[in-house]
Amino acid sequence: MSSLEQYGKVFETDVLVVGGGLAGVNAAIAAAENGAKVTIVDKAAIERSGSMGGGIDHFAAYLETGEQWDTRQAYLAYAGKIARGAVNLRVIDKIYCGELPAAIERLARIGNPLTQPDGTYYRTQSLGQPGPYMINFNGKHLKPRLAKEARRTGCRVLEKVAVTDLLTSDGAVSGVIGFNIRTGEVIVIRAKALVLSTGNTNRLFENPTGLPFNTWQCPADTGAAQSMAFRAGAAVANMEYLRLTVVPKGFSAAGLNALTGMGGKLLNALGEEFMPRYHPAGNKAPRFKLVEGVLFENQSGRGPVFMDCRHLSREDLEHLNRTLGYDKDTLPDFIRQKGVDLSKDLLELMVSEGMQSGPSEVCASGIKIDEECASTLPAVYAAGDCADQTRCCSPTIAGGYAAGKGAAKYAQSVAELRPVDEEQIVNAKERVFAPLKREEGLSHREFEDILRKILWENLGVVRTDGSIRNALSKLDKLEAYKDRLVARNLHELMRVNEAQEMLQVGRLSAVASLHRKETRFGVFHRRVDYPETDDANFCGQIVLQKRQGEVKVTFNPLTYEIPEA
Amino acid sequence: MPPRIDAAKCNGCGTCDRHCPIDVIELDKGKRLAVVKYPDECWHCGSCRLDCKEGAVEIVFPPRMLLV
Ligand SMILES: Cc1cc2nc3c(=O)[nH]c(=O)nc-3n(C[C@H](O)[C@H](O)[C@H](O)COP(=O)(O)OP(=O)(O)OC[C@H]3O[C@@H](n4cnc5c(N)ncnc54)[C@H](O)[C@@H]3O)c2cc1C
Ligand code: SF4
Ligand code: SF4
Repeated sequence: MSSLEQYGKVFETDVLVVGGGLAGVNAAIAAAENGAKVTIVDKAAIERSGSMGGGIDHFAAYLETGEQWDTRQAYLAYAGKIARGAVNLRVIDKIYCGELPAAIERLARIGNPLTQPDGTYYRTQSLGQPGPYMINFNGKHLKPRLAKEARRTGCRVLEKVAVTDLLTSDGAVSGVIGFNIRTGEVIVIRAKALVLSTGNTNRLFENPTGLPFNTWQCPADTGAAQSMAFRAGAAVANMEYLRLTVVPKGFSAAGLNALTGMGGKLLNALGEEFMPRYHPAGNKAPRFKLVEGVLFENQSGRGPVFMDCRHLSREDLEHLNRTLGYDKDTLPDFIRQKGVDLSKDLLELMVSEGMQSGPSEVCASGIKIDEECASTLPAVYAAGDCADQTRCCSPTIAGGYAAGKGAAKYAQSVAELRPVDEEQIVNAKERVFAPLKREEGLSHREFEDILRKILWENLGVVRTDGSIRNALSKLDKLEAYKDRLVARNLHELMRVNEAQEMLQVGRLSAVASLHRKETRFGVFHRRVDYPETDDANFCGQIVLQKRQGEVKVTFNPLTYEIPEA
Repeated sequence: MPPRIDAAKCNGCGTCDRHCPIDVIELDKGKRLAVVKYPDECWHCGSCRLDCKEGAVEIVFPPRMLLV
């Protein structure tokens, strides 16, 4: 028995993928195809875990069909326009544009082509795009198909394991520690290189329905990678942005793109199509503008706001109903149980809960990555919604693959596994399991409710220097209550750990927001004390990194010339 | 709160427990029956229903979501 086995079960691998969601399974396939021994660890089963486990319906891509909008240049110009100040064109050129053709081919190869049964692409336009980039497809079983491919390529999968900490040795990451959420067994995984891919941070802001798990993205994604990587010294960026969307009243479900892409119109209570007042693209405006429109119509007494699909042809309505179910399996049930028939009735809408997920569809927020998906920590790569430059379906599939390739290459350059510092294991175990031993204290639910209220009231759609400082001082007080958190069982222990990750992300978001003294992406970073967008001073990223226990804040300016092909 | 498991149809295979991304469902191994243990943590992804070969899962939205 190696000395580490006294602490729990020990695994060794070349490449470890933390979070087997959409980015993670693609990373694992890439690393395996590039000769690495791969282990995927996830708190659920990779067949259905993560945000799109139950299905997905659109894949944004340019296809070089000869149309002027359908080129790499046009896509990059669009990205630079809708995500100015947050997207790094050089990075997405390399990892999104560079991997896009292979991603489309891979999906076809594993039996989930993006084409319709007749072999053609069904493309729609929405969310500020210059042309119909959204390929509609049936992604209901995409996740199990990718999982099958990962298993076929020989990846080892550890499921129902929540990863809680990165282990480091001499400044480099040597592996992770976590626990099995059903057996409580401690799991230590040693790896030569890691891909972090645990998604964005949800359950972070007060939920308009009062149901904290009624979230747009997967509520099991609570910022684990962002929080662990930051604690280990990695740089994070774009953390200040609040993300919101427009969803059916009562149900925070995906589907907005399908509705507006098929020609659905947003109407206010007076029956007016109001979006053209907010953006020239009207109902096909970028997401932050749609959110702004719905919010301001409601605040101006012209709410509630509705989705109107009554004018669509029978054929288009049929396509829409199918697509909605591909994207969110239970949305058609919800609409039916609500008694709404889209061909005859309006569907009431609301603004969703807030989350940490970056300001646009073309880039995200989180671990800062370079052209190889490498973080600033040696041996650590990141992709998907937890990284600052990849998110949504196609950038995540492409970026996940790029990260897996990068990690496999890195692992090959390392002769041996790094040593593991036993003291870190002892400390992590002590911290993670302490809530099980406490007789009384604060439940994760109460702790989270406090966090959500502080963040929504002070870091929501109205931010000022004063409100952000207020949030930070309250979060300091909440921090002290971490030592009082209790868990009655392993399921609650997982939730307690998630709550602490969320607190870490909330704090990073507040610090970054304090430094961005401007408004950008409308309500996604609305500093009412600095209401204008200030490109002269803030066209770039606020970057946060831990240095000697303090948060070091730097600014990474970004420019928008299109990189040479 | 969704989902609702039909005990007469459930054969205790455990797929829904394994595939739930949120750890909402736990199989009662003794009774060989899927139990919705944390109903208010369900995010209605539909995976349990999609993968139940017995058709034992029904998704029923709570009044709080339908009526607000
Ligand atoms: C219903 C729905 C429909 C969508 N449809 C579309 C669409 O049509 N087109 C589009 O472009 N985008 C769509 N999106 C967005 C897209 O699904 C996400 O951007 C994408 O899934 C992000 O991939 P990811 O790998 O970063 O995160 P995820 O796919 O969410 O995976 C994160 C994984 O990490 C695991 N994990 C988290 N924390 C830990 C931990 N501590 N330890 C171990 N494992 C952990 C989770 O269990 C999960 O498996 C949709 C999202 C939703 C919710
Ligand atoms: S998948 Fe169906 S049959 Fe299997 S345990 Fe779940 S409800 Fe029962
Ligand atoms: S709908 Fe999704 S989250 Fe809810 S119990 Fe089923 S699998 Fe779990």
